[in-house]
Amino acid sequence: MRANERFSFFFKGKLIEARPGDSIGAAMFRAGVRVFTRSFKHHRPRGLMCVAGNCPNCLMNVDGVPSVRVCTAPARPNVRVTPQNVFPSLDFDVLAASQKFDWLMPVGWYYKTFTSRGAWKRVEPWIRKAAGLGEPPPAMAEFAGEAPPYEHRYIHSDVAIIGGGPAGLSAALDASQQGLRAVLIDDQTQLGGHLRFTPSEAERRDRLVEKVLADEKIEVLSRSHCFGLYEDRLLGVVQLPCEGREIESVAHVRAERVVIATGVFEAPLLFENNDLVGVMLSSGVERLIGLYGIVPGSRTVIVGEGPRAERIAALLRDAGSEVAATVRPDQVVSASGSGRVNGLRTADARIACDLIVVCGHRVPNAGLLHQAGAGLEWTDEKGAFLPTRLPPNVEAVGDVTGDDLSPAVAAPPAYPVSKRCYTCYCEDVTTADLSAAIGEGFNEIETLKRYTTVSMGPCQGRMCQISAIGVCANETGRSMGETGVTTSRPPNPSVSLGALAGGAHTPVRRSPLHHEHEALGVVWMNMGEWKRPRYYASDPSLGERECIEREYRAVRERAGVVDVGPLGKIEVTGRDAGRLLDKVYTHRFGNLPIGRVRYAVICDETGTILDDGTISRLADEHYFLTTTTGNLEFVVQWLEWWLIDTGWDVHIANVTGGRSSINVAGPKAREVLSALTDIDLGTDAFKYMACRQGEVAGVPAILLRIGFTGEMGWEVHVPADYGAHVWKSVLEAGRPYDIRPFGVETQRVLRLEKKHVIIGVDTDALSNPYEADMPWVTKLDKPDFIGKASLETLQSTPAGERLIGFTMLDAGRIPEDGASIVRDGEPVGRVTSARYSFVNKTGVGLGWVKAELAQEGQEIMVRVDGEPVRARVQHAAFYDPAGDRLRM
Amino acid sequence: MQLFSNGQMWRSHELKPSYDVAIVGAGVHGLATAYYLGRLFGIRKIALLDKGYLGYGASGRNTAILRSNYRTPEGVRFYNAALKLYEGLSAELEWNLMFSQCGHLTLGHTDTAVAGLRVRAETNQLLGVDSRIIGPDEIQKLVPHIDCSSAPRYPIMAALYHPPGGIIRHDAVVWGLARACDRMGIEIHTRTEVTGFRVSGRKVESVITNRGEVAADTVVNATAGWASTICKMAGVSMPIVSHPLQACVTEPLKPFLNAVIVSASLHVYVNQTGRGELVIGSEIDPYQSYSMKGTLPTLEQMASSALELFPQLHHIRVLRQWAGICDMTPDFAPIIGRCEELDNFQVDVGWGTYGFKAAPAAGRYLAEAIATGKTPDIIAPFAPDRFRRRQLVGEKAAAAVSH
Repeated sequence: MRANERFSFFFKGKLIEARPGDSIGAAMFRAGVRVFTRSFKHHRPRGLMCVAGNCPNCLMNVDGVPSVRVCTAPARPNVRVTPQNVFPSLDFDVLAASQKFDWLMPVGWYYKTFTSRGAWKRVEPWIRKAAGLGEPPPAMAEFAGEAPPYEHRYIHSDVAIIGGGPAGLSAALDASQQGLRAVLIDDQTQLGGHLRFTPSEAERRDRLVEKVLADEKIEVLSRSHCFGLYEDRLLGVVQLPCEGREIESVAHVRAERVVIATGVFEAPLLFENNDLVGVMLSSGVERLIGLYGIVPGSRTVIVGEGPRAERIAALLRDAGSEVAATVRPDQVVSASGSGRVNGLRTADARIACDLIVVCGHRVPNAGLLHQAGAGLEWTDEKGAFLPTRLPPNVEAVGDVTGDDLSPAVAAPPAYPVSKRCYTCYCEDVTTADLSAAIGEGFNEIETLKRYTTVSMGPCQGRMCQISAIGVCANETGRSMGETGVTTSRPPNPSVSLGALAGGAHTPVRRSPLHHEHEALGVVWMNMGEWKRPRYYASDPSLGERECIEREYRAVRERAGVVDVGPLGKIEVTGRDAGRLLDKVYTHRFGNLPIGRVRYAVICDETGTILDDGTISRLADEHYFLTTTTGNLEFVVQWLEWWLIDTGWDVHIANVTGGRSSINVAGPKAREVLSALTDIDLGTDAFKYMACRQGEVAGVPAILLRIGFTGEMGWEVHVPADYGAHVWKSVLEAGRPYDIRPFGVETQRVLRLEKKHVIIGVDTDALSNPYEADMPWVTKLDKPDFIGKASLETLQSTPAGERLIGFTMLDAGRIPEDGASIVRDGEPVGRVTSARYSFVNKTGVGLGWVKAELAQEGQEIMVRVDGEPVRARVQHAAFYDPAGDRLRM
Repeated sequence: MQLFSNGQMWRSHELKPSYDVAIVGAGVHGLATAYYLGRLFGIRKIALLDKGYLGYGASGRNTAILRSNYRTPEGVRFYNAALKLYEGLSAELEWNLMFSQCGHLTLGHTDTAVAGLRVRAETNQLLGVDSRIIGPDEIQKLVPHIDCSSAPRYPIMAALYHPPGGIIRHDAVVWGLARACDRMGIEIHTRTEVTGFRVSGRKVESVITNRGEVAADTVVNATAGWASTICKMAGVSMPIVSHPLQACVTEPLKPFLNAVIVSASLHVYVNQTGRGELVIGSEIDPYQSYSMKGTLPTLEQMASSALELFPQLHHIRVLRQWAGICDMTPDFAPIIGRCEELDNFQVDVGWGTYGFKAAPAAGRYLAEAIATGKTPDIIAPFAPDRFRRRQLVGEKAAAAVSH
């Protein structure tokens, strides 16, 4: 498309011609469209008013995106623009008849009607149907396309300037002159602010803009809205698509100094029918004429006084509109016309016109300053709330300071208390509504807002706040300052969820053996960020249970291998390593002999179990820790936290990603591994709970002899890059014994038969070692450690609940994890894990019961499919209770 | 006819020198306590003292979700009592609280999470609360807009479905209770900040405020996020820390989401209000603070989690974000009743992220405790001395995102 070429887009099935640089709304207006929306509650026709993207009068659906401010959205070829919240159409909306019945619906009527539960249930769906504005998104079944890409950017600068008007441009040049880097954030497509549509300032604008664009130390972000000034001067900036930039993004801008040059916006005045199509704000008219060459009326009445009114009158005359009169705001009675303006009534006349231009309140655009903690103080002689008490390193320059302001009307203003005098255009809140609400007791601006919903709509209070404060002040006899403003909250302007989310995607962690598992027909499961094999569906003729049984039998009868790569792995080294572990873990580790492994539990200060794992001492000052998969990051932080300020010689390294880890288990595990290593794996040479370093399959490895599965087995940790080699070597060496890889689900059955607890599955956020049936992990005779004081108390406190094992007495019935344990229909406990045990040939499980039910042999009732089924408490492991098989 | 009445909702008063009961905090908890003291026990010489405007604190900042599908029997009984009171409250107050019982879904994305949901479903069912586990097909039928496919990083495996749960108009609850209190002669003093207490021995003699000092036979602390600071003024220490909890709303859309959706794994919950706005909430901020400003990282996290559930909402814009302050206890259960150190100082604190949905029951039974001097069984598990006795309530296990 060439620079000057005209193009077109669709509105109501018709083509609208647009010129380069047009906004959608401007092109539509030029094509003769006057009604852009129907109002929220009364379905009154509304047309362009601010032409600045502030008011809600032009919210339309553009290519499926609801509530687009078409007055500022750049026109693009072939987009489809449709009206929203109309029934059935913009020009004829039957719901507009609701105005006739608005005596039935005074402010807050919905709180006062349908108070009986039955009546409310009947009417609620109907009331709900009338709510909302934008078209809802498609249901999943109809949502075919992917969301477009969004990005996050991070920008660091010496100075960040918000606003590309004359004050912002000058601030950027000043900063650059001081040798500072500046980022200039401007929400328009072109720099210049109000100079862009002020003909007499064209030359000044060109000069400033040219200098800024030529300055290499100034980065300009165009069509970029700063929507939040957060703690420590973090700026949230949304960059909308425009020429040369297709992707919508959010930039996080950090600067030493923030300069707010956001100027003023214009807000309407209060008179009857002030919302008619054809009532426009003066700056809106300036924009239509100055930016788009559109003269919005042929016969105009100006509401205003002083130099501003004169300037607007001159502008309109020059543009060819007849200026019928200029009327002081306090002389205005009402705008007249049915739907569209055809005149203005004053106390003593009716002036015919097709355009009313309101010189409204000029409101400092100080929301960002207010967010950052600045005060907003009413100043009578300016007729505005001006920013004061700016936070450190935040400045305000230009019109936002209010230096050049004068009041549009006296404060508090005179206004008719009328159902047709609109304060809030988003929600159709009138002066009559505000007055009634204040009479009912909602006489603070914040409660008034919540009760009438004034300032809670899409304009975020820009159009209505100043009027609402005026009405509130007037009706309560308080001053504007005493009435005060409502809290400014980000994001302002509104920002899309997609841009806020950015290119966010939740990461996937893959074990070094990921592709090995894929080749073996793995069925994946999510475990924290990791993908782990649930089981292997290597034989399509077998179901899940058969596959798991096959894996199970391999481990119990021959040999199996499982990827335990996602286990957390931490190396703790240094002179005081043992001392730190003694402080953080409940067991004793300073005295752990080199070459030994010990089960390890962490409790918090209240004695609640946080994590478990193993700790091996590889050398005098070198410990190797494993943690649960989900808690690794936490354990690292926890160790570092308790190390702070001790002055101890300890180094903590998270080596999880650097290691590939497998567990080779089963009665033939020794034979399988012996084929790959020179380390003597003999019963006495490498005892249960011992560790060694050496080579496996030619790769340096740490071997721990532990037994989570209940069989003889070794955990083998090797460098990640060699993981696949070692895995394949083990499978090869195990071939004579028909070794099988096994998954997490098989491991869960194996460990459950041994009554081995999984922290976070069988324990919860309140479990302590005594109730969890592992009192032996706490060493209360060692010097202070985390949780000791609580554990001492807990040890002598009768337990409320206990973790128990149970076997189902009806072999066919297995409870689901989470099922209730009941007595006389009351819940007295819960199942945490239950599986079919292939050796016991019935269901076995772990669960919590009230302490009095925790006796060995106690019969309990476990819910299966909602009905109680008999089970028996068993304290010993369900398989090899003496642990002989671990020590073979 | 009610419709046309423009009666005043409440009046303002001068502070009197003494009251039967002084309640610090005029949010839903303080108001409910006063309301039931007046209505059920005839105690009406009550002053509610609040430093802000009516509904300034958590009562106007929560996401207005009601449910009773808790994990422990104590929790289920208590919150179900609250839900039942809420169901009758519009009629009782002659003020429509717009309680929409649209149903509440807690999603499970992992085996462990689903097991946790089943614990709740089972306990709920045994105690007569409508609550059950449903699979992705049924979820999709209830919520056509949610992504139940295998495409998300953590696909939805199941949900805990709780049909009586829903949303209410939170401000309306405050206003309705305030009006009812006012009609009984109970005084609501806004902009009245408590700055200290006059304590003598085991008794609070009077409450010191920025508008003067008032004596009271019983003093109640119902100040949620500021509970521990108010307790401290009376020389009482509570095991409470305050964390911000953030939420945001989008621009209004025509109604399409007729259920409350909660995902603990994604740290997010979503519902659509009667006005058409989507409310998106987060879990509590990981740090302690009294700041009620929203933060950008949390806003981004809420957006990204919401899009995991509803990817087609990407172009919907967020209109505002805010934060409220939550008073968290070690076991994620409240602290209600007479505090151990002082004979006439009652607390109704530790409400964390679940105070709004409890308000009528907390007020109802605390009122009974105050009026009769005996602790009703239903609030006995939440007594202040349970920490010393180490008899904690097990809600923490279910409470990562507990809305």
